[in-house]
Amino acid sequence: MLLDVVLQSFDIFFQNPVLFGVAVVAVAVGIVLGALPGVSSTMALAILLPLTFGMEPEVAIMLLLMVLVASVFGGSVSAILLNIPGTPGAIVTQFDGYPMAQQGKAGRALGHALIASTVGGVLGVFALMLIAPLIAKSAMNFRSPEFALLALFGLVLLAYAANGTMLAGLLSGAIGLIFGMVGFDTVTGVARFDFGTAVLQNGIHIIPVTIGIFGITEVLGTLAASRSGPLPKVPPIGKLFPTVADLARVAPTWVRGSVIGTFIGAIPAAGSAIAVAVAYTVEQRLSRGTKYIFGKGEPRGVAAPEAANSALTGGATIPMITLGIPGDPMTAILIGALIIHGLQPGPMMFTENPEIIGAIYGSIMLAVLLTFAVGMVCLRGIVQVMKLPTHVMMVLITLLCMVGAFAIRNSISDLVMMLVLGGMGYVMTVLRIPVAPLVFGLILGPLMEENMRRSLIISRGSWSVFLERPVSLAIIALIILVIGSSLWPRKKRKPDA
Amino acid sequence: MNIFRRSMIKHTAAGLCAAVLGTFSGTALLAQDFPDKPINVVVAWPAGGAHDTVARLVGDYLSNELSQPVVISNQPGAAGTTGVRAAANADPDGYTVGVMGLHVIAQTYMNENATPWNAIKPLALIEKSPASLSVRTDSGIEDLAGFIDKAKNEPDFILNSNDGPGGFANISALLTQKAIGTQFATIPYQGYAPAVAAIASGETNATTIPTALMIGLAGGGEVKIIAVAGDERHFRAPDVPTFKESGVDFVFSDFVGFFLPQGVPQDRVEILESALMNVMKDEDFLAATQKAGLIISPGDSEAFGAFLAEQDEKVYPVLDDGGLVTANAK
Repeated sequence: MLLDVVLQSFDIFFQNPVLFGVAVVAVAVGIVLGALPGVSSTMALAILLPLTFGMEPEVAIMLLLMVLVASVFGGSVSAILLNIPGTPGAIVTQFDGYPMAQQGKAGRALGHALIASTVGGVLGVFALMLIAPLIAKSAMNFRSPEFALLALFGLVLLAYAANGTMLAGLLSGAIGLIFGMVGFDTVTGVARFDFGTAVLQNGIHIIPVTIGIFGITEVLGTLAASRSGPLPKVPPIGKLFPTVADLARVAPTWVRGSVIGTFIGAIPAAGSAIAVAVAYTVEQRLSRGTKYIFGKGEPRGVAAPEAANSALTGGATIPMITLGIPGDPMTAILIGALIIHGLQPGPMMFTENPEIIGAIYGSIMLAVLLTFAVGMVCLRGIVQVMKLPTHVMMVLITLLCMVGAFAIRNSISDLVMMLVLGGMGYVMTVLRIPVAPLVFGLILGPLMEENMRRSLIISRGSWSVFLERPVSLAIIALIILVIGSSLWPRKKRKPDA
Repeated sequence: MNIFRRSMIKHTAAGLCAAVLGTFSGTALLAQDFPDKPINVVVAWPAGGAHDTVARLVGDYLSNELSQPVVISNQPGAAGTTGVRAAANADPDGYTVGVMGLHVIAQTYMNENATPWNAIKPLALIEKSPASLSVRTDSGIEDLAGFIDKAKNEPDFILNSNDGPGGFANISALLTQKAIGTQFATIPYQGYAPAVAAIASGETNATTIPTALMIGLAGGGEVKIIAVAGDERHFRAPDVPTFKESGVDFVFSDFVGFFLPQGVPQDRVEILESALMNVMKDEDFLAATQKAGLIISPGDSEAFGAFLAEQDEKVYPVLDDGGLVTANAK
């Protein structure tokens, strides 16, 4: 029956070639919008939403899903080529993607991103079609205590993953945690750390921070380097696609990233920044002690977040279909689009409007495949950006950084914040303090704080709430395991030292 | 194929009108020159939320009415105060219109940096969204009487998920407590979606999130809406009684209204006001909003101002009781 529904939804494309053409255009538009810093996937959808008011509901939802899925991949294009995340889901893709591009492997980095996105997207849709109720149910076991511990787990992974520079990594992470406290206290609704200004009440948004600390820092670094001699040339673009051996090595990462993305997507309101942060830190942790170093152009550092953010699309649709609530800001807009057409997302949809469920499944699947096809065709053209002379490239990056930081909340203060953090990022680089932990601290800190405090409100102040719940206990065990395993080899090595 | 039917025709028509008007505007009276460029509508919440949806629906029809494009820009942050401040401090030329809800009244007293609700020019009331009370069906609570009973006899039992201090659902919870004369625990979440997720997962067992967001979940049978705080029942949940019907005098609604900075010339205020009132009479608009489950509640500038004052009277005392007032204390 399920298969019928999906085939039926594909059928509308075959019956109407115009619609298929519209889908291809929507995917291309989605990639471009996603790649533009400042136009996040959420914004791309919001911009297109009014266009869909007059359409049939299946067509409207199809168009929006095409753009959504494609923009998630688009976000990685600017991350890899320009060191600026196009969307919140791409904030960690550049950690390894940009170094790869600088080593002349831009094509391969994009290839990895595209293939991982496709695998993640397909696995996410399959999860949605086959085990949505099961995932929804297990996601429901994920409540405030589990969230708090998940964030703690992420922070622990972070501290121990920073090989060699653990102290500097922790310092950077701590700065991120402090940044995360600025703005409204999420529990009491009182503004804090705002130094009496209205500007800081907005909090410190992850996108301007990431743009500044990577994009502007890179520009400043290049400027400084240019004073002491000619700039190093970016090597020729080289091979466009990853080799089979390369792909085989990355394959397990796809699966792990997809599972993490699907699951975190299914937890209402978790969002893509958290999914990619967890996926990346897990990969980084797993590679510890091997010759592969994350942050220096490791393909798995690109594949993990890309698989996760694409799988997230399917995952985030799960609470929408099973409960009628959004899994992330993008599905919030999809729900809005459905409601405007008089359709109420939720458990009743399976019986009342099965054709819409089919259209959702079919559209995501088709969107993933079309994104792959369009991406493959355009890859060769996109990487030509790398051939731009360095000085032109730096101007371009600066310009896009400024547009992107402003556009995310239409706020000049975000623009100023981005520039200041760009300067700070440069100083940190000179001092050899890694900047990535700052980004993770900023994502995970507020998540941990809010959920820990809420857990304690619900338990009326009893800390045992973290021990009483099986999932939360399991995460605690995992945290202890990670800390323990990190201490163990150090002790062993001591005699040599 | 009719996918682009309506919007195509409409936009073409709007474009033609704009062109025609542009040709003749040189000879027109000054007031009729307004608007001669796009209108910017500032939404203080992210894309996809209730304010955004209403603003985009209204904007779509308003651009026909004014023969100018209407651009929606989202300026979220600081519990909705950033966008409201941006619109309130914009040039008072009528080209910047703000979108506000109950949050503006709450923030007036909770944040000294917020724009006070009486420092803006109300333009039109668009939509009302009544508060409601929902419970998990496995809580054993069947109706409002059962809820009050439980809250009085087992003070620790009820956990109410809402959107945190100053949010509409949170204030609804405080007002509900006042109306039924007993306390229950209120658990803060970051907005509506996680608060709804909390009752769905069973982390909490009650919520004061507005009706519209609960209908999907209630359809699944795990959650039941037990009372709506409207003057009448919600047309999308016709089986749910109002608080009044259940013997509790409690009427409270969130709303979406448009406002202007103070100091906009009166003739421009009137042009915008009558355009908005015309939109809310448009049959297509009403059909679209009906389908979207919105309760359109037209109010002109004066009526909206009176409505705001009425809301203020309701909200201030509970904020004061809760110790949340830190600015503009009365």
